[in-house]
Amino acid sequence: MIDRELFQLAGAKSISKRLAGLDVLQAFLIIGQALALSAVITRLWAGHTLNYLMLLAFAACFTGRQLLAWLSNRWLDDYAGKTAQSLRKRLLKKLFVMVPALVQKQGTGSMITMVVDGISEVREYVKLTFSKVITMMIVPVLALIAAAFLDWKSALILLIMYPLIVLFMIILGHAAQARAEKQFGNFQKLSNNFIDSLRGIDTLKYLGLSKRYSKSIFRSSELFRGRTMRVLKVAMLSTFALDFFTTLSIAVIAVYLGFGLINGTINLFPALAVLILAPEYFLPIRNFAGDFHATLNGKNAFKKIHQLITNPAEKTVDLSLHPWTAEDKLTVDNLQFRYPNGTTIKPFSLAIQGYQKVGIIGMSGAGKTTLINLLSGFLTPTGGTVTVQGQAAPTLDIPEWKQQLLYIPQNPYVFTATLRDNIAFYTPDVSDDAVRHAIHVVGLDDLLADLPEGLDTVIGNGKRVLSGGQAQRIALARAFLDKKRRVMIFDEPTAHLDIETEMDLKKRMLPLMEHRLVFFATHRLHWMKQMDYILVMNHGELVEQGTFDKLQEKKGYFARLMNEMRGEKENV
Amino acid sequence: MFKKVPLLRALKHDRWVRPYLHHYRKTLILAISLGIITFICGGGLMFCAGFLISKSATHPENILLVYVPIVLTRAFGIARPAFRYVERLVSHNWVLKMTSRLRQKLYDSLEEDATIFNSKYQLGDILGLLSDDVHHIQNFYLRTIFPMLVAWGLFAIIVIALGILSPLMGLWMLLVFALMIIAIPLWSVLVNGARQEYEKQVKDDLYVNLTDNVLGVGDWVLAGRGKEYLQLHDENELQVLATEKAMHRFERLRDFLVQMLVLLMAVSLLFWGAARFGGQPGGPANWIAAFVLAVFPLIDAFAPLPAAAQETNVYTKSLVRLNGLNAGQSVPTTNVPQLAGPYEIRVKDLHYTYPHTKRPVLRGIDLTIKPGEKLAILGKSGAGKSTLAALLRGDRVPTSGAVTLNGVATSQFGDHIAGYIGVINQQPYLFNTTVANNIRLGNEEASDDQVWDVLKRVGLAEMVKALPHGIETKVDEAGLRFSGGERHRLALARILLKDTPIVLLDEPTVGLDPITEQAVIDTILNQLAGKNLIWITHHLQGIERFDQVVFIEDGQLEMHGKPAELWANNARYRELKKADQGL
Repeated sequence: MIDRELFQLAGAKSISKRLAGLDVLQAFLIIGQALALSAVITRLWAGHTLNYLMLLAFAACFTGRQLLAWLSNRWLDDYAGKTAQSLRKRLLKKLFVMVPALVQKQGTGSMITMVVDGISEVREYVKLTFSKVITMMIVPVLALIAAAFLDWKSALILLIMYPLIVLFMIILGHAAQARAEKQFGNFQKLSNNFIDSLRGIDTLKYLGLSKRYSKSIFRSSELFRGRTMRVLKVAMLSTFALDFFTTLSIAVIAVYLGFGLINGTINLFPALAVLILAPEYFLPIRNFAGDFHATLNGKNAFKKIHQLITNPAEKTVDLSLHPWTAEDKLTVDNLQFRYPNGTTIKPFSLAIQGYQKVGIIGMSGAGKTTLINLLSGFLTPTGGTVTVQGQAAPTLDIPEWKQQLLYIPQNPYVFTATLRDNIAFYTPDVSDDAVRHAIHVVGLDDLLADLPEGLDTVIGNGKRVLSGGQAQRIALARAFLDKKRRVMIFDEPTAHLDIETEMDLKKRMLPLMEHRLVFFATHRLHWMKQMDYILVMNHGELVEQGTFDKLQEKKGYFARLMNEMRGEKENV
Repeated sequence: MFKKVPLLRALKHDRWVRPYLHHYRKTLILAISLGIITFICGGGLMFCAGFLISKSATHPENILLVYVPIVLTRAFGIARPAFRYVERLVSHNWVLKMTSRLRQKLYDSLEEDATIFNSKYQLGDILGLLSDDVHHIQNFYLRTIFPMLVAWGLFAIIVIALGILSPLMGLWMLLVFALMIIAIPLWSVLVNGARQEYEKQVKDDLYVNLTDNVLGVGDWVLAGRGKEYLQLHDENELQVLATEKAMHRFERLRDFLVQMLVLLMAVSLLFWGAARFGGQPGGPANWIAAFVLAVFPLIDAFAPLPAAAQETNVYTKSLVRLNGLNAGQSVPTTNVPQLAGPYEIRVKDLHYTYPHTKRPVLRGIDLTIKPGEKLAILGKSGAGKSTLAALLRGDRVPTSGAVTLNGVATSQFGDHIAGYIGVINQQPYLFNTTVANNIRLGNEEASDDQVWDVLKRVGLAEMVKALPHGIETKVDEAGLRFSGGERHRLALARILLKDTPIVLLDEPTVGLDPITEQAVIDTILNQLAGKNLIWITHHLQGIERFDQVVFIEDGQLEMHGKPAELWANNARYRELKKADQGL
């Protein structure tokens, strides 16, 4: 029910101790408040005038108790805030500095939800758990002891009721949980179904079905309501049990005390005090139960975040590398890779020297992207060795290797930032003139002329969405400005572009590839002629490698692929 | 002052909350009554218990003298949880009913603009957002509207009851309770609500900012600037933290003040009790305990109100967003023209400028697509190809010029256009249901045999047969994913079932590798032989099989002719064709 890890957080022991101290004080004030109020009423009942001293004592106890609550909330707010902060920092650090592969694994959406919403939930969770749990362990005990001094038989009733409540809540809770879990599946389904219908709404419209579908949405939602209500009937029984035993025990005690008073075995003062204490005795468990469900999300989020933070980072290799030169060599020996789902890249070997343009070709799903990711160090191979500049390593996940890379994917990311910041992302210190020159070189003059505030205009998703071609040009401009990085990696940069844009980009890309080591994965044929060396992938295997002419002569898979890809060349 | 409460402003012209409050008012009144009764039982229990023991302490000779309070104490003790249970069921049922309506309403609002939805709202994420909004309104009902109405009902009852006993005391309680359920909530909304709104705003920005940078995390890491971003994020987060701190400080103070009001009530009841029943032991003095003890359970109804009021600012945004959507009342298309084949599409001097923009996207397009003809439309991205497609289908109305199907403007057909023009777009949507259901969207009456038949025609029969449940397999079951080519084939299967005379394809093969692409093109062309085909594409794979090719550039037709003619006469066409083939 309660995470042990939660109490292992930094500062958890100290705050628990302090809160426990406050709770003990609070319990005494609760008792004092009950006694004082009971005394005031008893005197009035007996026909005396208002006893101001006792009234003042009651007010003082009441106020003191609220002040303590104030203080404990303050401590908790501070503590929960600090804990959430430190968790968030550690999570982000993991994300940005240590393992970007994490994002790929977890998905962007879920990572962001975890950092923003997850942390807030954890914060609530920490706050509720510490306050409610500790209070529940202290206040009822002291209240019960006080009641026992006043009238031990009533205290006995209270004592017996407590485990009954807990027992019934557990039994009913389990019964409801089984149903609720099923229903939660339903809810997920319905909610997905609803979003699914919204996402496909244009398809429905194209098919002329959209108007009729409206009724079906209502129907499935109503069906869901019926099912939910059936679960709620059971689920709410546990709250009912809690309520029922609480009010019933108060009623029973009242009636029992009534008989005692008639028989003269007890006086009004202790009887009244017990009656006032009884609801206070049950209050902590009611609070705990009320917030219990609210904390479940936080509990799950905490678990996930804790796992991520403590998950060890993939091992990087610290080799000292110098910027790539025409003499440097990269050899790969039997490198292989296996995804958790079983897809593999079969062992492959290759040797590259100096500033070569290496093309990687194959059909979709042949393993081009995986190969690229292995070469750029984004994936850690499951076997084999690489040798860079004469130094051997099991992976290319080498910080100094990454510092030389220019990576241009199919959809280069354009940040929601100014055009200048986007272009100078890798070289924040360059002058505006250099940025302008880069813009000209990659053919973004039209875009710049179109922007109301020139280089200072904010572009990107939130503001002005760029076309695929423009995003590619931004990536090229980044590469153009960064003269230090001498290894370029392209992953299908033009697959989704129209042919004219592609041809224009090609003209601008080729000069940038000079004096650099280039890996270029694509299924667009015309690039192959410009490549110095070609790797041919098929079904996760490096089936052929060599120069364009050699591969053509060989009339193997590459030649076949080229012909097939040209489609109906013979018909022209 | 009330005008400053954002929620009240948002509710003024609301179409999402108020109509339903009215529509389901019977259940609502029932739920509220049950809520009030629950609290009365809670107060009643302590009231009777207090009276019972006071009376018992006077040592009545006969136990029958305390019989009524005994029975009432027990009755209230049992009734309170029972009423609460029923009340919660009724109110949840009520809210879920509302949710069904809200979902339908949201769908209807979006349905109107469905085909131009993407260009209007940009992000698919807005859908998740809107769906969350419905959830927020649900919370708004349960956590704000409902407790507030219960509290006000209870407030009225208490004040009236006390007023009858003693007008002055009634007036005093009116004042104190009003502080608690009107003044403090209002104060909360104005002070903390503004903070909460600001916090939400900053947090949303942070969210957007973080999303932006996590999406580009690869660049941050490669550029070696990861730490820099962390610092930036920390600075942004500080704003949120400061606001949160201020909010918490306010909440603690407010909760304390509410409790002080409770104390004030208890003490004033003691004074009132002393004045009214004091000095009369044995009789009236028994009521003092009753009145004082009843205060505490009743407070439970009022104490959560300030927090609930403060939360409303968060819901306001959802309310405003939903109310900003279309009303969702479609104008029924009158006089839907009934056409018979053969079908011919004519585009005459077509101009189009998007609303609220100045630059024309299309400037004088003329085209004729004769029955059974296949037309390929090429052009750079942004040249106006997709706009032309929307105009052809009648989703948009030409600024000037005309698009006609057998002489009738396509925009006049409304939803009935779906019977004439089928569409396969870039990313065909597969609904999260069975393969068969997805295909039957083309024709809901289709038999299993017909479904298998179209699957065979699009070349997926083998693949679907191999699935665990054949055509009854869910499209996402057990890691099953359809590749790009397969999705297009499924979309084609739908169109084949629908059997429209004209099919519009909007870049259906973008991103596929050439071999897969050619295979998809072949299947589409073979299966749709004899139909009018309009194919928007971005390169020239398979172009030879079309009857007409047009290039759109700057909103005008730049090239127009048969592929063979263009190959023979047009240098630019030849150049592009060669490039596409890697020659």
